[in-house]
Amino acid sequence: MAEVILRNVTRRFGETTALDDVSMTVPDGAFVVLLGPTGAGKTTTLRLVSGLDVPDRGEIFIGGRPMKGLTPAQRNVAMVFQQYSLYPHLSVRENLAFPLKSPLLRTPRAEIDRKVAEVANVLQIAHKLDNKATALSGGEMQRVSIGRALVRNPAVYLMDEPLSSLDAKLRADLRTELKNIQANSGATLIYVTHDQIEAMTMATHVGILDQGRLVQFGPPREVYENPVSIYAAGRLGQPRINILPADLFGTAPDGARFIGLRPEQIVQGEGQDSVVRRVEHLGDQTRLHLNFRDHDLVTVTDAHTPLRPGDALPIRPDKPFYFDANGARIV
Amino acid sequence: MSEPLSQRAATATPPVLAHRIRGLSDRAIAWIFVAPTIALLLAVNIFPLIWTIRLSLTNYRSNRPNAPVKWVGLENYQKILHDPDIWNTFQVTAHFLIWTLVLQVLLGFGLAYLINKKFRGNDLWTTIIVLPMMLSPAVVGNFWTFLYQPQIGLFNYVIAFFTGADPSSFSMIGDVGLAPWAIVIVDTWMWTPFVMLICLAGLRSIPPSIYEAAECDRASKWRQFWTITLPMVLPFLMLAVLFRGIENFKMFDLVVQLTGGGPGSTTELTSINLKREAFEKWRTGYASAYAVILFVTVFGLASIYVKALNKVKDR
Repeated sequence: MAEVILRNVTRRFGETTALDDVSMTVPDGAFVVLLGPTGAGKTTTLRLVSGLDVPDRGEIFIGGRPMKGLTPAQRNVAMVFQQYSLYPHLSVRENLAFPLKSPLLRTPRAEIDRKVAEVANVLQIAHKLDNKATALSGGEMQRVSIGRALVRNPAVYLMDEPLSSLDAKLRADLRTELKNIQANSGATLIYVTHDQIEAMTMATHVGILDQGRLVQFGPPREVYENPVSIYAAGRLGQPRINILPADLFGTAPDGARFIGLRPEQIVQGEGQDSVVRRVEHLGDQTRLHLNFRDHDLVTVTDAHTPLRPGDALPIRPDKPFYFDANGARIV
Repeated sequence: MSEPLSQRAATATPPVLAHRIRGLSDRAIAWIFVAPTIALLLAVNIFPLIWTIRLSLTNYRSNRPNAPVKWVGLENYQKILHDPDIWNTFQVTAHFLIWTLVLQVLLGFGLAYLINKKFRGNDLWTTIIVLPMMLSPAVVGNFWTFLYQPQIGLFNYVIAFFTGADPSSFSMIGDVGLAPWAIVIVDTWMWTPFVMLICLAGLRSIPPSIYEAAECDRASKWRQFWTITLPMVLPFLMLAVLFRGIENFKMFDLVVQLTGGGPGSTTELTSINLKREAFEKWRTGYASAYAVILFVTVFGLASIYVKALNKVKDR
C-alpha cells in the first residue's frame, strides 16, 4: 500500500492535451474517484500511473519512489480496464489465478486456490469458475476482470469505470463490496467514473477533471459543499445544482454573474412566489420542477408533499454560491 | 418510370410466361436457380470422379482407345500398394510436405511477429516480403534453376561465401542428397509470405488491451507470448497449414520446372509420378487407381485435420 503523487504531469496526444500540468497527492489508503466527462483525462491519468503510458512532462511517485522508466510490472499496480480484457482461451478460474501465477510472486498453489475462491465469492461468480471467459455475459466478464485485480495485493488499484456495464442491483452490491475491501485492506485505489453516486458513496477524495486540468481535489463533502466553480459544482449533487442569474433573488455581491443553488440551499415556504410546474414522486423524496420569474429550477421536497402542478410556492435562497462570468466561485 | 422496378418487371413479362411462373412453388423456383450450378458441378467434378473410379477397375489405356478393355477388379490398387517406386514417391512427398510446412510455419509466424511490431516502413516491408507469392510458379522454378546453377548461380555463391566451400563443388539440383532440399527451399521462399499474411491477420485480431492487462498482471513477455499470442493465433496458423498442406500435396508445376522429378526420382512427388503413369506411360486404368488413392489420402488427412482445427477454435 502506498501514497501516489503526481507532480506537474502533462500528456499530449498530437494536438490534443489529455492532461495539462496535473498535480495531485493521493494519500496512502485513500479511495480517490476521478470525475469528469469523456475526454477530461481520467483514463489517461490511470494509464500514466500504471505505467502503460508515460508522461511528456512531470513526475509520478508511488510509495515515495519515482516511477520514471518503470514498467507496470515493476510498479506493482493492478488495473481494471473499461473493456473487459480477459484472456479469452482461459477459464474464469485461470483468469483469476493468472496474476498470482506470476513468477515474481511465487504464490503457493493452495494459497492461489483460496484467494480465487474468496474473490469469486465476493463477486458472485463462484458458480462460473470453470466456464470459459468468453462464455460469460458482459457483467460477469467485468466481475472477473475486477476479480483479477482483487486477488493481488498491489501498491495501488486502478479501476476504469469497472461498474458501468453492470445492472443496478449488482452495481449497488459491488459498490458496497469494493468499499469494504478497500477499507479493510487499507489499499490505495484510484477509480474513474461518470457516476456521482459511486463518487459520493465510495470516495475518500474526489478529483474533478476538466479538459485535462485538475480543477478541484478533496473529500467529496468538501467538493460538494465548497465547489470552486460552476463546473465542479455541477459534477456532484442530484438533482444538479441550479445555475441562475445572480440578481434574480435581489442584490448580489460585486462581480457575481451567477447564483448557484443546490436543493438544500432553497428554503421553501418563505420569500417570493414560484410556480410548481411538475411534481415527481421518487419514493423517498419528491422532485419539484419550479418556475421562478421565467427561470426553471429543480429542488426536492418531502415524499408526501400535497403540492400539485400550478400551485404557488414561495422560495428564498439560503447561503447560495456566487460565481463570476467565467464560472469561478466568488462567495 | 415512376413505378417500382418489380411492377415494371411484372408488366413486362409476357402473360403466358407469367402464368407459368405463377404456377410454380417457391421450392421449384429455388431449384431452377440452383440447377445450372449443380449441373456444372456434376459435369466437371462428380462425373469425372465416378468415371475415374470406374476406370481404376480396368486395364484401359487412353492411347489405345480401340483395344479391348478388361475388367481387372482391385488388381490396380494391389499393384500400386506393392510397388516400391510408388512408396518412394510417397516418401519424397512426405519429406517435401513436412519440411515445407515446418519451415513455412516457423518463418511465416516469425516474420508476422516482427512485422506486427510497429516500426517505420513496416508496410513497405510487408509488400516486399509478399512479392514471391505473386509470381507464377513456372517463373519461380525457372529462375531458381539459375540461382542454383553451380558456376554462376547466386545461391551457390552466397553459400560458398559463408562456408568457404567452392561454389561449383555442389549442385543443389543435380545432387541426389541436395535436390529434395532444393525444392523445399524454393517452395518455402515462395509461400512463407502466405503463412505470414494469415498469421499477421491473427496477430492483429488480438486486442492490445489484453497485453496491457497482462503487463499489469506482471506477466513476462515470454509468458504473454505463450498464454496470449500463441493460443490466439493458433487457429489462424492451423488454417494456413491446411491450405499449404493441401497445395503441397498436389505440388507439380514448381518442381517440374525446377528438377523435373530428378535426379533419378529423388524429387519425384506423387503428382509428378501420377502424371508420368497417366500421360507418358498411358496406363490410364492404373493411374486412375493411383489418383483415387491420393484423393482418399488427402481427403482423409484433411478431414482429421479440420476436426482438430475446429476443436482449437472452440477452445
